Amino acid sequence: MKTIAIQTEGFDLGAVESSLIQGRSDLGAMVSFVGRVRDFSDRPGVRALTLEHYPGMTEAVLDALADEAVARWRLGGVAIIHRVGRLSPGDEIVLVAVACAHRKAAFEACEFIIDRLKTQAPFWKKEHSDEGDRWVGERMSDRWASERWEES
Amino acid sequence: MSRTFTHLNARGEAHMVDVGDKPVSHREALASARVRMAAETLVRLVEGGLPKGDVLATARIAGIQAAKRTAELIPLCHTLPLSSVRIDFDIDPALPGVLVEARCRVEGRTGVEMEALTAASVACLTLYDMCKAVDKGMVVEALQLERKTGGKSGDWQRMQASDASPGQAAESTAAAELGDEEGDAVAPQAASVRVRFFAELRERLQCDSVSVPMTDMDTTTIFALKQALIARDPRFAALDEPRVLCALNRRMSKLDASLSPGDEIAFFPPVTGG
Repeated sequence: MKTIAIQTEGFDLGAVESSLIQGRSDLGAMVSFVGRVRDFSDRPGVRALTLEHYPGMTEAVLDALADEAVARWRLGGVAIIHRVGRLSPGDEIVLVAVACAHRKAAFEACEFIIDRLKTQAPFWKKEHSDEGDRWVGERMSDRWASERWEES
Repeated sequence: MSRTFTHLNARGEAHMVDVGDKPVSHREALASARVRMAAETLVRLVEGGLPKGDVLATARIAGIQAAKRTAELIPLCHTLPLSSVRIDFDIDPALPGVLVEARCRVEGRTGVEMEALTAASVACLTLYDMCKAVDKGMVVEALQLERKTGGKSGDWQRMQASDASPGQAAESTAAAELGDEEGDAVAPQAASVRVRFFAELRERLQCDSVSVPMTDMDTTTIFALKQALIARDPRFAALDEPRVLCALNRRMSKLDASLSPGDEIAFFPPVTGG
């Protein structure tokens, strides 16, 4: 079961998890990651975020990422849901959920997907704070996190 | 996606935007327009030989009055306490005609673009009215915002064609205007590629997308496409910055990738989702 969604509305983690499993009993492990909006980044007082993306390319990148994870860790289910539009601190931004036979593969696959998503999927964040609006810059730590998944 | 019509509500109906929660800031806008006329009309205007009297002084007052009454003319426009309105004229014998510039300032919650545009347009109409007895063929044209400062959407300035001669400058502005496909001079049937810009890059270039004819490129590569864009407007030099990424037909791409007519190329800053 593969779910890829770009949406403005929130998501229901419980519903996504049960759709991932679909009653199967061979999937012994499920790991999900939820990213949320913080009220600080490089500077304090972030009041809101606006997320922009490249429609068409975003879905294609996430779809390929999901397929790669399924093949590499033999996943039985994968879901990637990313929100766009204006979000407030505390709002959920992204959900990555995977299900497979064993926990180690599930943890790794989930981390792989979110690490790669952060450096490959065409999303951009703009922060709104008391000091004005600012486009969020890339983080070296995100690039390194993504690069360590390169298969040698 | 990121730009919406603020004058439409969720049901698509017209409504006046509630600006009560927006901070008061210093805002300015400069608009321009021009009136093209016969050379003899322009001479009589300058020398004061027209039946209705001092054309420019009258048009100036008309422009100032119009700026103050913009809210009465444009349905969803707010009433603004303007702090300054200035109308300037330039006689252009090469046109031949009169160039009109209108500047408006306000300390307010919403911009003064509509006031500046209305002032420029009514100044032009008054020029027409003052001169029509001797020249009914005059043309009012090229009414446009030149720049605006202040407010949430930030500063904006019209891009000029970098290589246009002064006589052609205003004519080629429409072609050099980067803002939309409609303003592009490329004929739809010409073999071309579509270039899109996202996020911070889009805001800096003031441009969502632009069409580039294959004939503008030395070779059919993304590298040559960038050179063609930079030749069109120096602001596109931003595409040469080290961390600008590029996609060809919605997949990440390198600069030596080969292009075909109809391709979609996108430039954007490093991604920051998740």
